[in-house]
Amino acid sequence: MEPTRCPYPFRRAAPLDPPAELQKLRAEPVVQVTLPSGDTAWLVTRYKDVRALLADPRLSRNLSRPGAARISKNNRLFQDPKMDPDPPEHTRIRRLVMRALTAARVERLRPRVQQITDELIDRMAERTPPVDLNETLAFPLPIRVVCELIGVPAEDQDRFRGWTQAFLSISGLGSDEIERSMAELDQYMRALIIAKRGEPGDDLISAMIAVRDQEDGRLSEYELHWWSRLLVLVGFETTAVQLGACVAMLLSRPDQLKLLRDDPGLMPHAIEELLRWKLVGSSVTMLRYATEDIEVGGVVIPAGSSVIPGADFANQDDTVFDRPEVFDITRTDNPHLTFSAGVHFCAGSSLARLELEVALSTLLRRFPGLSLAVAPHEIQRRADKFLENFVEIPVTW
Amino acid sequence: MYVTANRDTCGGCGLCTVTAPEVFGQDDECVVTILLPRPGPELLPRVREAAERCPTGSIGTAGDHAEKGPI
Repeated sequence: MEPTRCPYPFRRAAPLDPPAELQKLRAEPVVQVTLPSGDTAWLVTRYKDVRALLADPRLSRNLSRPGAARISKNNRLFQDPKMDPDPPEHTRIRRLVMRALTAARVERLRPRVQQITDELIDRMAERTPPVDLNETLAFPLPIRVVCELIGVPAEDQDRFRGWTQAFLSISGLGSDEIERSMAELDQYMRALIIAKRGEPGDDLISAMIAVRDQEDGRLSEYELHWWSRLLVLVGFETTAVQLGACVAMLLSRPDQLKLLRDDPGLMPHAIEELLRWKLVGSSVTMLRYATEDIEVGGVVIPAGSSVIPGADFANQDDTVFDRPEVFDITRTDNPHLTFSAGVHFCAGSSLARLELEVALSTLLRRFPGLSLAVAPHEIQRRADKFLENFVEIPVTW
Repeated sequence: MYVTANRDTCGGCGLCTVTAPEVFGQDDECVVTILLPRPGPELLPRVREAAERCPTGSIGTAGDHAEKGPI
């Protein structure tokens, strides 16, 4: 008889709490799980193992390999047989993109991020509460920031929301609908690249075109298009969902909110703790493929298996975090793995941290009486997405 | 103390350059460079912090009696 396998991602008993399985299942170093596609993967549960595997070249990110598990039946997500997501190919292109996203470059965007935040919050303050924070701040801020960074004109920014919704769908949309959205985005980016070739700007797509047109083998035309699309698709939704979730989480914990209001200098620690809490979703997008047998905690994961390094588990590991089940914004030693680690460490992490810091600081300063307009358990998540978006985040002041 | 950095594994995020800007830089490809291979003791806490925060584990330190790592 086949052993029982848990479905993954887990369901949450409460929208702002980590799933109970994260504590229960960590007794085992590895558990087998069933993905939304019905395929099986090995989920690694301990911090030390997760961190080591994220740096292990025996785990490939190339899920186009025959036999690799699929996350979703309808959505191929990052899988393109023409693109190699492993080093050295991946590293070559990633370094081009990283130029716009290094910690020092991102810090120079701070005044602009503050300006956009102030504009959005001015508009929010004119409205009569309750308002949906997703609509007033959490989505518009990262959309505008990433579009300016990569060079998408302001008037086109609204169209992106629909395309990313399709891209991030696990089961809500059929494959036809997802393919159609991706084709529309592709068409849009083709036109944009033609326009930027004629009239380059001070933006990432123009910079990538300049590298491509040197014809020195660093970037092909196909790669230019693929990465331009990817940057749009992953460039804002993650930050948007995280930002909304951060606000909901802080407002649902009055003791922690008070600490932060009394000492705004705690904000960087608060942000790391909010990231550790893994509010945006599971680790399902960290799916890998074992090219060799790999031993984890005495268990051999056979070559050809699919493996998920469980950052959500690792972030709750009591051998690394003191009382991990406690949400504590004063925590100083916080090496969480929410941005992953190793060669696929989130390229946009500095930008995400900047946006979170500016948005949360400004929001708390401008609305001293900010609170949730519904009970915390009434906030609804969508479960059919790679990121577990909140349907809306009603706030009042 | 020597500072070591592995340019083959560096992911280019640049966290080290804001944590200890006197010690770490980045080249045109965003790969880590060492500006100050033997920082004074006053910089040690921030070099350690840079090593701990490095997402690819590419930064290390070696004492004067240890073998000099790859720079």
